[in-house]
Amino acid sequence: MPTTRPMPSHEAAARRGHPHFRLRVGFVLIAMVLSVFAGRLVQLQGIDPKAYAEMAAAEGMDEMVLPAQRGAILDRNGEPLAQSADGLMVVADPALVNTDEEGQEVDRAPELAKFLSGKLDVDYFTLLQRLRTESRFQYVARGVPAATATKVVDRAEELGFDGLSTWRDPVREYPADDVAANLVGFLGTPLADGTPQPLAGFERTFDELLSGTDGSARYAMAAGNKLPLGDNTVVEARDGQDLTLTVDRELQWYAQRVVRQTVQQARGDSGLAVVMDSRTGEVLALADHPTYDANAPLASDEADLGSRAVSDVYEPGSVSKVLTMAGLLDAGKVTPRTRLTVPGSLARQDRTIGDWFPHDTIRLTLAGVLAKSSNIGTVLASDKFEDGQMRRYLAAFGLGSATGAGVRGESAGILPDPSLWTSQTQDRIAFGQSVSVNALQMTAAVNTIANDGVRIDPSLVRGSATTDAGEQVGTDQATTQQVVSAEAARKTALMMERVVDPEAGVAPGAQIPGYRVAGKTGTAQRASSECGCYDGTFTVSFAGFAPADDPRFTVYVVVQNPRNGGGGGSVAGPAFAKITGYALRRYAVPPTGTPASDLPVEW
Amino acid sequence: MSSLYSTQGAARSNRMPRIAGAAVERARLSVVPVARTRAAKVPFVSLVTVLLLGGVVGLLLFNTSMQQSAFAATSLEQRATVLSARQEALASKLERLRDPQEIARRAQKMGMQVPAAPLFLDLADGTVSGDAARATLGARLPLDPLLPARPSELDPPATVVTPPEGVLGDQRGGGSGGGDGGKNKQDEKKADKKAEKKSEKKSEKKSEKKKDKKNKKND
Repeated sequence: MPTTRPMPSHEAAARRGHPHFRLRVGFVLIAMVLSVFAGRLVQLQGIDPKAYAEMAAAEGMDEMVLPAQRGAILDRNGEPLAQSADGLMVVADPALVNTDEEGQEVDRAPELAKFLSGKLDVDYFTLLQRLRTESRFQYVARGVPAATATKVVDRAEELGFDGLSTWRDPVREYPADDVAANLVGFLGTPLADGTPQPLAGFERTFDELLSGTDGSARYAMAAGNKLPLGDNTVVEARDGQDLTLTVDRELQWYAQRVVRQTVQQARGDSGLAVVMDSRTGEVLALADHPTYDANAPLASDEADLGSRAVSDVYEPGSVSKVLTMAGLLDAGKVTPRTRLTVPGSLARQDRTIGDWFPHDTIRLTLAGVLAKSSNIGTVLASDKFEDGQMRRYLAAFGLGSATGAGVRGESAGILPDPSLWTSQTQDRIAFGQSVSVNALQMTAAVNTIANDGVRIDPSLVRGSATTDAGEQVGTDQATTQQVVSAEAARKTALMMERVVDPEAGVAPGAQIPGYRVAGKTGTAQRASSECGCYDGTFTVSFAGFAPADDPRFTVYVVVQNPRNGGGGGSVAGPAFAKITGYALRRYAVPPTGTPASDLPVEW
Repeated sequence: MSSLYSTQGAARSNRMPRIAGAAVERARLSVVPVARTRAAKVPFVSLVTVLLLGGVVGLLLFNTSMQQSAFAATSLEQRATVLSARQEALASKLERLRDPQEIARRAQKMGMQVPAAPLFLDLADGTVSGDAARATLGARLPLDPLLPARPSELDPPATVVTPPEGVLGDQRGGGSGGGDGGKNKQDEKKADKKAEKKSEKKSEKKSEKKKDKKNKKND
């Protein structure tokens, strides 16, 4: 139908436009688009291309920290006093918890709180409050053993609870709770990235040794799986090293229980016991009471979080008569049978010296002076020292200088300076006043007698380790020094044996059935820093070793401020006997079977 | 050849056609038919196909197995994590059981005591060394700290109220004399209250007794 077919009209041609014009417009459009691309290219490649390259590389890469295991703290037999475990923290996203599958807001907090508080040992109400907080991140529980945490979170998911997840949170376990807590210390709550916070004790002193270095790993990941041939870089973690102590966990435990019993029975303020291997100077137990549970340090008083045996100084009292006697014997000024006439009281330059028991003039041998713990007799004997000689002996015994065993906050005690040393000072120091010591120092000093006159530095760390102050401590660093002759030490030990004799001495309670025991009691007035005087309270103590003729253990027990009126012999003596008896049994030390010392005490 | 031409350049005009003709005659080459040895196409093509296919399929299989082992590695790693967590949990439980306190608790439950000193039996001659009479004297070691003393605030002195004289007697008289229901009901209520109080006291006493027992255990 040729008549109906419309011919291309002028209007249609005008609408399509001129081909040249259309071409130009098209080119301009293409050019604009291309220049946008070019601009973007310059932006990507020209300006900071590295950041984009990194972003591209990070896409699909998973980076994780390979945690270094913190070293354990072990006792001398390898029993753990502190060890690390892989813990997890359970965290909740309250927004996700309180949303159901359709995205509606619901209150599922009570249900979940009930479930979790039952399983994870957290408080229901605290948890409820946290789960209702407007946030995306709330702690549910920290330091949960990995197995428990995973099980609980999986179970919660099965029950339809959403929004729970677990993160790494290493746990530090102290399997024996309060045993050696005074030495080991504890860790605070770790930082969010799992870095532990050592707060006290060896945990803090040897943190560098224990902590190790974290490693890292980067993997190309897809849907939770490593890509087989994808990039991966692994820097292995370097685990922390173990720290081995010289402490024997069992003996430490027993000593702590005995000290606690003793302090509570005497209604004292505090108490301590030190057990030392006489031959090596290794501290087998260093017990403090009150102490704390290393798994819950916040439950205890802050003052109990250290070791009083090392940080507190006090006047040792009569125990230091042993040192005076040993010095006198070594200097050749006396023998155990030296005869002394001891008056009822002794007037010296500035004051009158008395004895703890009232007596008229009595005739005691030097052994008797020690056995009866006569102050007057000791002062009379110490008059035989030449000038400065006594101070030299006491300094050599280690008084006035820190032991350097590696315990934090050690107080060195006070041995008066030679310039302040007067004859009155010497009188008082002879029987243990006007001089202050810490218990570890005093144990090492008494151990000198047990170890044939050779003083060994006490040590708490096996081998050698560097403290955070950069000092090397440990058994490898312990030095020895001959303070008195072996003969003088032996004679002193024979005199000390008379102390525990039921007739001759004052501390029959310190006897160990079947063994020869040498020891010395101490009942010292306590100096109060408030009034600058003796405040009427006492420090009672007992230091000794067994077997007396072949010493294996030197034990020192101190109780501060007993309120039951007991002295060194009646309070600390029995505790000494218990602890030493236990040590002898544990290390299977048979009795020597020799007859006990029968030095005369009177003449 | 070129040197030949150049040296004999003078005689080129007359001699050349003859020589060239002879050379051409000599050099006349005939086209030899090309002996085309046609290799069979089929084996080659199939070899290439097999190689290609084998390569592709092999690569695919290799990739799949790699992927498979990646999955396996992931699941094994997860299992290792779970198992090591379990091992750790068990180890820490074991450590709890080996705690000297726990051992002592169990030993004391069996009636064991710490002796004052050891005795030694010489297996060679059967003699016992040590002080046998006194070494066996054991002592029970208190394992737990004493409970803190009960603060006096918890036991306030009882408040004693002396009623004004005669009041008590009147009430008793009224109670016994009156016969109406209201009073009876009141009496019943009083009786109930008394019974409640008694039961409360009993339970208190029981709990106290329990506490005493606990204290004794701790001693």
